[in-house]
Amino acid sequence: MTDDPVLFCLHFLGGSARTWRRLAEHLGPAARCVALDLPGFGDEAGQPGGGVAAMADHVASRIRAEAPRGPWLIAGNSMGAKVALALARRHEDGDPDLAGLAGLVLLAGSPPAPEPMDEARRQAMIAWIDADPETRRREAEAFVAANVAAPLNPEDHARTVEDVLRANPAAWKAWLTGGACEDWRGRVGTLATPALVVSGAEDGDLGPEAQAALTLPHLARHRHAVAIGAGHLLPLERPRALAGLIRDFVAAPPETAEAPTLPPAFAALMGSERVNTRLRRALRERMREPEGPFCLSPGARATLSACLDRVLPQAGPGRIDLARRIDARLASGTGDGWRYAALPPDAEAYARALHTLDAAARAAHGRPFAALPGAEQDALLGRATSGDLPAVPDGLAPALMTCWFEELRGEAVRTWLAHPAGLAAIGFTGIGAGGDDADALPGYRLTGLNEGEDWESPVRHVPMTAGDAR
Amino acid sequence: MNLAGQSRHSPDEVVDAVVVGTGAGGAPLLAALAAAGLKVVALEAGPNFDPAGYGFDETLADEIYWTEERLSGGSTPEAFGANNSGTGIGGSTLHWGAFVPRADPRDFRLNTESGEGCDWPIDHAELVPFYDRVEAFIGTSGPTPYPWDEARRFPLPPVLRNGPAQLMAAACDRLGITATDAPAAVVSRDFTPEASVPGRKACIHCGFCHQGCRTRAKASMDVTYLPLAVARGAEIRAESRMHGVERDKAGRITGVIYRSGGRDIRQRCANLILCAGAVETPRLLLHLDLATGSGQVGRNYIGHVATQVWGTFPDAVAMNRGYPSSLITEDYTRPKGADFAGGYLVQSLGVEPLTWGNAVARGRGLWGRPLTDYLRQYNRVAGIGINGETLPCDANVLTLSDETDALGMRKARISFGYGSNEDNLNAHATRLMRAIWEAAGASDIWVLERVAHTLGTCRMGRNPDSSVVDPVGRSHEVGNLWICDGSVFPSSLAANPALTIMALSLRTAGAFLRWR
Repeated sequence: MTDDPVLFCLHFLGGSARTWRRLAEHLGPAARCVALDLPGFGDEAGQPGGGVAAMADHVASRIRAEAPRGPWLIAGNSMGAKVALALARRHEDGDPDLAGLAGLVLLAGSPPAPEPMDEARRQAMIAWIDADPETRRREAEAFVAANVAAPLNPEDHARTVEDVLRANPAAWKAWLTGGACEDWRGRVGTLATPALVVSGAEDGDLGPEAQAALTLPHLARHRHAVAIGAGHLLPLERPRALAGLIRDFVAAPPETAEAPTLPPAFAALMGSERVNTRLRRALRERMREPEGPFCLSPGARATLSACLDRVLPQAGPGRIDLARRIDARLASGTGDGWRYAALPPDAEAYARALHTLDAAARAAHGRPFAALPGAEQDALLGRATSGDLPAVPDGLAPALMTCWFEELRGEAVRTWLAHPAGLAAIGFTGIGAGGDDADALPGYRLTGLNEGEDWESPVRHVPMTAGDAR
Repeated sequence: MNLAGQSRHSPDEVVDAVVVGTGAGGAPLLAALAAAGLKVVALEAGPNFDPAGYGFDETLADEIYWTEERLSGGSTPEAFGANNSGTGIGGSTLHWGAFVPRADPRDFRLNTESGEGCDWPIDHAELVPFYDRVEAFIGTSGPTPYPWDEARRFPLPPVLRNGPAQLMAAACDRLGITATDAPAAVVSRDFTPEASVPGRKACIHCGFCHQGCRTRAKASMDVTYLPLAVARGAEIRAESRMHGVERDKAGRITGVIYRSGGRDIRQRCANLILCAGAVETPRLLLHLDLATGSGQVGRNYIGHVATQVWGTFPDAVAMNRGYPSSLITEDYTRPKGADFAGGYLVQSLGVEPLTWGNAVARGRGLWGRPLTDYLRQYNRVAGIGINGETLPCDANVLTLSDETDALGMRKARISFGYGSNEDNLNAHATRLMRAIWEAAGASDIWVLERVAHTLGTCRMGRNPDSSVVDPVGRSHEVGNLWICDGSVFPSSLAANPALTIMALSLRTAGAFLRWR
């Protein structure tokens, strides 16, 4: 990515620039940490704090002042990660102050969605921050202890408790009632900026599953690492391991799954006046990765993705992420106007069917469905077709797996053929039936056997040998 | 369609009739009542589309399908949505195939003829003048003379044949089967039936009939009867979803409640005419417990046996081009030696890729490499299909499920299955279609089982104990409630239903005017 980039570091709620001291030591010359105090915290405790946008403004001004010469990164822990996501969106939207952002490091990050948090705990935190000094100290001690999986060394612990106690109570409350609850899903969308996501296996609300469900869908290029035996305050708990992950990330940022490219002839037709603007926009939109929301659990999504690789194998180069599109469709609650009366509603049917498949894989092979070789996946799907997969609790009845698998096949094909790469693959020219002038649409002049118009010939390919699908 | 300048009625004004639904059942009647000087308001659940805005794309076309979920059960569950259910001003005619055979006269007397099914309470001869009027107005293209109906005249010559039609024509010729250009409610020439309706340009053969016709060549109601209705003084309200009625002590309907822009509006009315189709009409009646005394509402749900046979050809077919079903044979309306009552029509089929691919994946059961290899044959495949008689049957019913929609109305649950008559008809037709496709030179032939259309559930009849409406569409139980759509069909008829629904609509309008 770059030599010795600057890493701007944004702390958790109650933390400060000091949070990053040990990570900076471990990183050494691999990256230069510029740890910031967010408004209302650390040396900025005189400020009242604010929501995500206000914090992002503050950080942007600091980055502008720092004027890093080469590409730079932002690291955020918990609260700081949500601010980092907002900044990355600004960068991708062309904010000149943020030119040069080359990567995100999101540590137990607060996601773009409202942060999942027990309401009673939120209210308790709001209450004690304004309490008497003795209560405040006791609660701050407990707060730090509750957010780590194993006790910090006494020096780090004491410094962290002091940071919590010097936080501006107004900023503390502003985050708990404001920033943490803000819904940035739509604004963040899907980021192309490479991201390293690290979660603590022992983190209560923002552990690996929450990160997979709430954060990863927003990151087109991500690497997710799980810190075993760690909680929420990862820069304090795992500075050495994080330094290694960040060094690797800087050296080799994650790549997105390559999207399929359109054959030049189809792309040219798509761009031509024969295609109406509404359709052209829709086709291009379908080439983008849907930004969610999604509804399948990360495990179910992985099983679905593996299924779809068997149901509708894509030769490449590049592939359409059909699972992501179907997951988004399921979450949208829209459908095609009917379902088999015997099946539960679509999202539930998918979740239960995928659970049935995965359970069958684990029972037969001791491994998740997604981890099986293709032939064994095919065998299980074949059994789904014939209705003889074993029944499992919370799964779908064996006979209903037949119905669901029919639904899945249909949805896979519809999703593939909605994508221009699918239409190009079958040589479809119908998108060229007419452009924007509804009073002068060309349509087709020739409709008969073995007839074709000049404009069609680069796109319409007819297989030369008679193929038998069986 | 253009609604600027249409008549406006206050919700508190007692209009002569509220018409619910603007498809093939509601639109002709709306125009006829307005032309007679009645104050009429049509409520359409869906939006008002500008045809120029359709996208030539199957996914974008979701906007014209009724995609609120229905539950489909029984031994041959039927697909809804894009298969047969529309929304928007024009209803299902926005996506219909515009294939317009007239019903066979014998199909109205099926029970008398065969002892199976039931007779209609009306005679085919009574419908002929209405067929004539509809066809002259909406503009039908086809071959005159028509081999199976000497009296039938098409105002316009046939549309172009496409690849599947050519393949079927050659094979039928070889086998001694009469086949010819399809009767299509698509104008093959520029067409203006009368001054108050905007003229329509000739078909451009884009092939997207089922995704909404951008050029208005296809006779959807929003380019035919609805502009006429508005010109004659009708008011059409889009995005107005009826879900309630008000009734007086005598049980007569005094007002209709509908949801529009998130709030409920009550339109006072002297009569209610339900034209919401054979799923939503009975669903509303069951939801409102209206005209349900006989227990007939929802019973005798019927579709059509609509099996298709597909094959792969050495030719470049590119079946998406042209009018999709541009060839027909009516030689099998009463097949010799058949072991079933009634008969079927056969048509050639060109299908857009997503619809076809979905059918391949679901109906042929392919997956993996066999699936992707076969999808890549798209430009070399062609189909033929039937539309076959379906008899009323006690097991085939529409009921309300326990799941509710966004309005709190229970979802429709449709249970449908073939009986032995349908099975025998299907087997006969499948053998025939295979033979035709073999004669056409197809390889890799396969059969797609399919059910089409939504009919029955509020059938017409003289006996109030066994029907919901009388032979002209008036409820037996609620004096000022009428029904005019496919739900009044006592049996399916072999013909595709929309043309007959339009003819019935004009007939019901006449009866309504005489009655009032």
